Amino acid sequence: MLEINELQGDALKELFNLGVGRAAHSLSMMVNDEVELSTPDILLVQASEVVTTLLGSEFSQLSMVTIDFIGPFNATAILLFPERNALSIVSHMLDPHMLPEELSEFEQEAMCEIGNIILNACMSSLADEFQIEFEGGLPVHYFSDTDSLPLFGNQHLLHEQVVLLLQIHLTMRQEQVQGHLLFLLSVSSLNALLDCVDRYLARLGIS
Amino acid sequence: MNELFGAQLLDHLQSGIVLLNQETKICAWNQWMTRHTALDLEQVAEQPFAQLFPEIVTTRLQDCIHQALHFKLSSILTPGLNLAILPLYKNPKTPTQRLEQLIYITPVPRYMQMACLIQIHDMTATVRRERRLRAQSTSLIATTYRDALTGVGNRRRFDHDLMAFFTDARSKQQPLALLMIDIDDFKAYNDQLGHLQGDECLTQVATVLQEGLRQRGDSVARYGGEEFALLLPDADVDLAYSIAERLRTLIETANIPHPASRTKPHITISIGVSALIPAPHQTMKTLIEQADQALYQAKDAGRNRCLSYNPPQTDNRIKKTD
Repeated sequence: MLEINELQGDALKELFNLGVGRAAHSLSMMVNDEVELSTPDILLVQASEVVTTLLGSEFSQLSMVTIDFIGPFNATAILLFPERNALSIVSHMLDPHMLPEELSEFEQEAMCEIGNIILNACMSSLADEFQIEFEGGLPVHYFSDTDSLPLFGNQHLLHEQVVLLLQIHLTMRQEQVQGHLLFLLSVSSLNALLDCVDRYLARLGIS
Repeated sequence: MNELFGAQLLDHLQSGIVLLNQETKICAWNQWMTRHTALDLEQVAEQPFAQLFPEIVTTRLQDCIHQALHFKLSSILTPGLNLAILPLYKNPKTPTQRLEQLIYITPVPRYMQMACLIQIHDMTATVRRERRLRAQSTSLIATTYRDALTGVGNRRRFDHDLMAFFTDARSKQQPLALLMIDIDDFKAYNDQLGHLQGDECLTQVATVLQEGLRQRGDSVARYGGEEFALLLPDADVDLAYSIAERLRTLIETANIPHPASRTKPHITISIGVSALIPAPHQTMKTLIEQADQALYQAKDAGRNRCLSYNPPQTDNRIKKTD
């Protein structure tokens, strides 16, 4: 049974918070207004459970930005918001007076960029602290319902994959929007990630 | 494929291609870039990118290049979130408006080092089309919310605002007030002066009401027939009543002749006022019913007046005297 211990969980949470903190800084600069991001919780779940347990119950229409990262461990990083929340973020960023119904392809690109900023910041925070290197691809944006999430569609792969699941809170113009950060990993990649965490902790003298 | 042929291919692309080496010096620059900057490869080769375009230092583009070269991360910069970053022009000889740009930044391994590929797409036409569509849709939306005769908000506007204000008042536990405004003896006005004159009168009343509200920024809506409604977020019953009274006086002093009126020789209005901080059992209907009830009482009491909704007394003094 795969699991992350408390120390590992805390270290990852801290590193991701460092990453999203940097992303918040970039986003604040772009919109000339304060944007806050935090990731209060971290969980490790089987990929097959993600759809049923987390997504299925909460919302059905999703906005999703994914980036593939290749390095000492490979991961598909996913920023996922209920569609309504994603539209509210983008309209706040582009034009606060815009109605969500008015959003178009143009705004999907913007969502892509927002996801790009957050996911890259998370992965570069890991790369920095673990002293490793990743190669990151370009972001892809999907609007999708939970049933047809392309990434979770392959039942064969699901048994061999795990998901590191973080809640993400985005606060902007007094409004808090909730979403999730997902890191889809193979079991061997998860082990490689945890090795990095353990080495990082050892270097800090905690372990 | 040899390097020369590769460079020729790049020159045929309908998008900008720039390659930066590990020190962010320019090592490839296609024809598209020359066309939109008036600088050719010889002029820019080996120049650090930020030296050629000093203004990028304060933009995200600079970070993205750094991320590509040092962390091998790719990025996208969209025209929606980034104002035309690079000084690229349709005709650089007469630089007027910058091209809207969609930029992709990807790390590329080159001679055992990391290079950074920058691809730039001209989005000017797309952005312009987008703006035009947005402007059209904004004006269409405005039309669907406007009463065709009087120019004030229509019933759809009112229903939409009521829903939004009520939800807001409920979550913030703030008061929301409603004024139901009715023109006195309007049927008699129509019967005597005809429907065209009736329409004219409705327009005049709507204009006076809306003008009277200009300072606070509230908007009146035509609720139906000769009835208007006004929502006042964050107003208690006293404030709402004072606004109602001011509107009533404005209409009276507008002095629009009404020969058939039982009240005055000119147009007058009656207003029912209600205000509440939404309690769990109260709905939007409660607010409307209360304002309606107050309006009927104002009519019964002789018209040309404002009345606030009075909750039914619980001690029932009348019964005791029986």
